Amino acid sequence: MDFVFLILSVFTVVSSIMVIGSRKLVHSAVYLAGALIGTAGLFILLKAEFIAWVQVLVYVGAVITLILFTIMLTRKGEEENAQ
Amino acid sequence: MWTGDGMNAYELIVSILYSIDVYDLLLDAFRSAGMEYALRVIIVLVELAVLFGFVLITVMFLTWMERKVVAMVQSRYGPMVTGPRGLLQPVMDGIKLIGKEDIIPAGADRWIFTLAPFVVFVAALLVFIPLPFGYSLIISDLKVGLLYIIAISAVSPVAILLAGWASNNKYSLMGAMRAVAQDISYTIPLALAAIAVVVFTGSLSTVDIVNAQSGTLFGIIPKWFIFITPLGFILFLIASIAEMGRIPFDFQESEQELVAGFFTEYSGMKFAMFFLAEYAHLFAVSGIVVTLFFGGWTGPVLGNIPVQITSLIYFLIKTYAVIFFAMWLRDTVPRVRIDQLLNLGWKIMVPLALLNLLFAGFVVTAGVI
Repeated sequence: MDFVFLILSVFTVVSSIMVIGSRKLVHSAVYLAGALIGTAGLFILLKAEFIAWVQVLVYVGAVITLILFTIMLTRKGEEENAQ
Repeated sequence: MWTGDGMNAYELIVSILYSIDVYDLLLDAFRSAGMEYALRVIIVLVELAVLFGFVLITVMFLTWMERKVVAMVQSRYGPMVTGPRGLLQPVMDGIKLIGKEDIIPAGADRWIFTLAPFVVFVAALLVFIPLPFGYSLIISDLKVGLLYIIAISAVSPVAILLAGWASNNKYSLMGAMRAVAQDISYTIPLALAAIAVVVFTGSLSTVDIVNAQSGTLFGIIPKWFIFITPLGFILFLIASIAEMGRIPFDFQESEQELVAGFFTEYSGMKFAMFFLAEYAHLFAVSGIVVTLFFGGWTGPVLGNIPVQITSLIYFLIKTYAVIFFAMWLRDTVPRVRIDQLLNLGWKIMVPLALLNLLFAGFVVTAGVI
């Protein structure tokens, strides 16, 4: 159990750091999805299944989609800023 | 008819091992090695391997069946050369796809381009975990099984969007945008129609939903939810066909406009993964339709045959009937326009699904069922 907790928390923390660390916005969004899935895993470890799957449904399913749409529709501006 | 909680596949394997006097021997052997945990892990891995093998064989069979059904509708033979009646055609297709060059287009985001097909494939496999194939033939009877299925299905649009974006191709991106717009708008009536069933059963567990459908209504017709809430069934079926992106709603890959939609740039095994995921999803969704509205694995008891086997056969017959319907529909109706698709989703199906939910609440509160 401790071992699983260790893996999940390291995964979550590393993904969270990569969200602010990666250079491309889309990669940040993917890392954010990873961090949210890791958090859902921690909820499962706490035996809070319902919250875990609502987390996946709402955050990974809906919020990440929204963020990705936003990034993709403003992609051109991002590239200009990078230059 | 059988009711009761039954077991899950793990307990079933243990009880079979126990009945042939092997389990105690194994347990002693592992215990003396100080690895009692290893036995559990091995049994779970065996379970998952059986599930994975079953899904792969089913997917191969479904690609063959799809071609045969299309051929039947169009008065052709379909694949006939490889194997009896062309049954080995999917194997040849697999060998061909493995042999293809794995192309990553210039300007593509390599990392995300590679990640996306894996996410789609894993999401399609994970849906099978709480699907009851038969009496005690279920990997894990999650307390929130239906929510789990809806949540996992909500992950694949993200991966599709990533695949379309990472390909650096306008057709891919347009296909992905359409796919996601369609998925998001049809998830709502899908979930609302499923919630009506949950209102009837009072449980999100797939096993409880199947158990609630054993028995008969008025002593004649089976107590399946399709007879109690036919509107919910029609909404769920339309919404799930739209979610799968099959022909009346296949905007994401409408060949005439978008080459192949979000997987235009994919080749080799990555393409095969999208392909496998699509058919695994078809089987999973048909299984869910059967579980929610056609009584899952329930059916008449037959003599001395073990319940697990007959229930699996009933489940497969019902599921293949739904799959055949989806394939038949594909060959019969033309594609709708994108504005018609979104209007149907938001202006007709969402209000009707809400109405259906109201009806379910009324029926349950009035104590009719």
